[in-house]
Amino acid sequence: MSRRGSDKSSALLALTSSALLLPAYQGARADAPPEFMEAGMRYSKYEEDNTQGKKTFGGSSQRYDIDAAQFHLLAPVADNWAFALDVQWEDMSGASPWFVGESASGEPKVIMSGASIEDTRTEVSVTTRYYYDRGNAGVNYVRSDEDDYDSNALALDGAFNSSDGLTTYGGALSFSADDIEPTQGSVPTNTLKNDKDISSAWIGVSRIISTRSLLRFGLSFTYRDGFLTDPYKLNDNRPDERKEWTISTGYRHFFDAPNAALHADYRYFDDDWGVGSHTLDLAWYQNLGDLTQLIPYARYYSQGQADFFGNLVDLSDRYYSQDYRLSSFGAITVGLRLRQELGNWVVNLSGERYRTDESWGVYNGDESPALVDYWRYSFGLDYIFR
Amino acid sequence: MAGFEHCFKAMGGPCRLRFDCADEALAQRALEAVEAEVLRLEHKYSRYRADSLTSQINRAAGTGAAVAIDQETAALLGFAETLWEQSGGMFDLTAGILRRAWDFKSGQLPTQTRIDELLPLIGWQRVQWDQHSIHLPLRGMEIDFGGCVKEYASDSAATLLAGLGIERALVDLAGDMAVVAEGAAARPWTVGIRHPSQPEQAIAWVQLTRGGLASSGDYARCLLVEGRRYGHILNPASGWPVQGLSAVSVLAPQCLVAGGSATIALLKPEAEALQWLGELGLPWLAVDSQLVCHGSLADTSANMSARHSISQEGNTE
Repeated sequence: MSRRGSDKSSALLALTSSALLLPAYQGARADAPPEFMEAGMRYSKYEEDNTQGKKTFGGSSQRYDIDAAQFHLLAPVADNWAFALDVQWEDMSGASPWFVGESASGEPKVIMSGASIEDTRTEVSVTTRYYYDRGNAGVNYVRSDEDDYDSNALALDGAFNSSDGLTTYGGALSFSADDIEPTQGSVPTNTLKNDKDISSAWIGVSRIISTRSLLRFGLSFTYRDGFLTDPYKLNDNRPDERKEWTISTGYRHFFDAPNAALHADYRYFDDDWGVGSHTLDLAWYQNLGDLTQLIPYARYYSQGQADFFGNLVDLSDRYYSQDYRLSSFGAITVGLRLRQELGNWVVNLSGERYRTDESWGVYNGDESPALVDYWRYSFGLDYIFR
Repeated sequence: MAGFEHCFKAMGGPCRLRFDCADEALAQRALEAVEAEVLRLEHKYSRYRADSLTSQINRAAGTGAAVAIDQETAALLGFAETLWEQSGGMFDLTAGILRRAWDFKSGQLPTQTRIDELLPLIGWQRVQWDQHSIHLPLRGMEIDFGGCVKEYASDSAATLLAGLGIERALVDLAGDMAVVAEGAAARPWTVGIRHPSQPEQAIAWVQLTRGGLASSGDYARCLLVEGRRYGHILNPASGWPVQGLSAVSVLAPQCLVAGGSATIALLKPEAEALQWLGELGLPWLAVDSQLVCHGSLADTSANMSARHSISQEGNTE
């Protein structure tokens, strides 16, 4: 009788692994546009926890809430072309940290912007992508409009597969021109009208290292130039230039027995403001039958503060900021996503919890009283026209 | 959901494609795409076509000029090399030239002198190849992909159908089969394995939900000389037929692996072949020289008539 299951013979392993190098077993033999039109809607809610009372001085302790609705359309245009349209509407409300002051006992306490901020943002993104035998190339234009912020961005990207089909090289360039015109309300702003430009370049390579695993590696550089100060923060004055580098690597491994895939990613970030960070992402893509996928995931993030960050800053310094986003902290995100196919419909549900603490990080620094925790939920529905 | 069936001739035999599809236009596209893919591989690898890559490689034998190959061909050569290694040298891509000595229609055995002339031209270890080129070092040397291209073409056709969104399909290239049965609703395909001596009769019925089924047999062509049977499965070292199993069928996640496994088993002496199949880890059926069935699929032949009706239902809609 034959032996079954995990007790596969070395002969079978040898035959299978050499057979699987043939193009018919490697999924897409050439990059191809999507076969069918696809449309989807997604609703997400982002809810920051209120700032803890003991860390604030009066004002509102209520933080940000964002409601977002997204529409997505992906359509094959011709044999070698595809077109994608993404529209997103966001409604933001709440208060944000205005500045950090010192209590009688010397503790840093955050003062929130008094009145609730209300803002809406609309973003439209259009992508066309061309597919050729050994890869694909895309052009993407994004326009984002807010009451106080406009952005226009253009991005180009391309991917190229090696002749053995196992290695993919990729590259991307993007440019964005942003205009800032803060709404004048109860708190004074740092500027009346200003702008900034962002240019960014990325190169990456991914390699199929076995029939079950893939390794990828990427490098990117971003250059920001212009008004980089937060217009709504009282004690904020930042350099008008920022250079950022990231190195990223990722590993995917499919396990036959549990019918699941592990995704592990790491990213290192460094910039010339003195901010550095490590990000570690782990996700487990568990297939439950052919139609259901359950994805628990976790992220660890640790950031080191900018050279000019302080809870209590000296305004005679050239640069200073009390923005908690430039402080040292550690953060953990834990989430769960469910993907369910129902005929031509695909339902996506997800929920995640983000918590942060200065002591969780690997970098030293003062804890900002304004660090934020949040919940995020989303519900999405896609339809495939086949 | 309508059932489609399409028959065509390729790779030296009858080919049949069956699938379920709700969209007539998509079905038409699928039929054309599958036939085009099978013909592509036939044109590329058939030794009967003067313009094939195989003929080009064979013509360049002994000239010192290497022939450039693509990734698909390199991977196919790699698979053939694995078969050579796993069979202890019994599967040899260069052994096809023995057919110059063996004419199974003639009723005559070849002379040992004729065989001895050919043996020096056989030997995979002599072939110079890498990922980008191949060269056969001796004039008259030949390679023949016949042992794996049909199986590969079945898999490639099935992959293509799945890629077009077809969830249930059966590709049958003259007995080498690959199926698509995706989604919870897709029912398996029931296919019969031919009896070695009575080709119109099934020896077993197999339910295929994924992968492929490949069969190899020694019964199709043979010489009977002075009461002794000489099969067409030849030992590349001696040039004479192997005294092994009559027929082998293997079920595997890929038709190519099923076919390679069946071929290796057929090249081994009977007892060794049965042991090798038993240890392989795939469902199999073998018929020995006394027409006795062996293997994990052998018990399905017991209730053949009951299965037969299931198969009629499964196959004809």
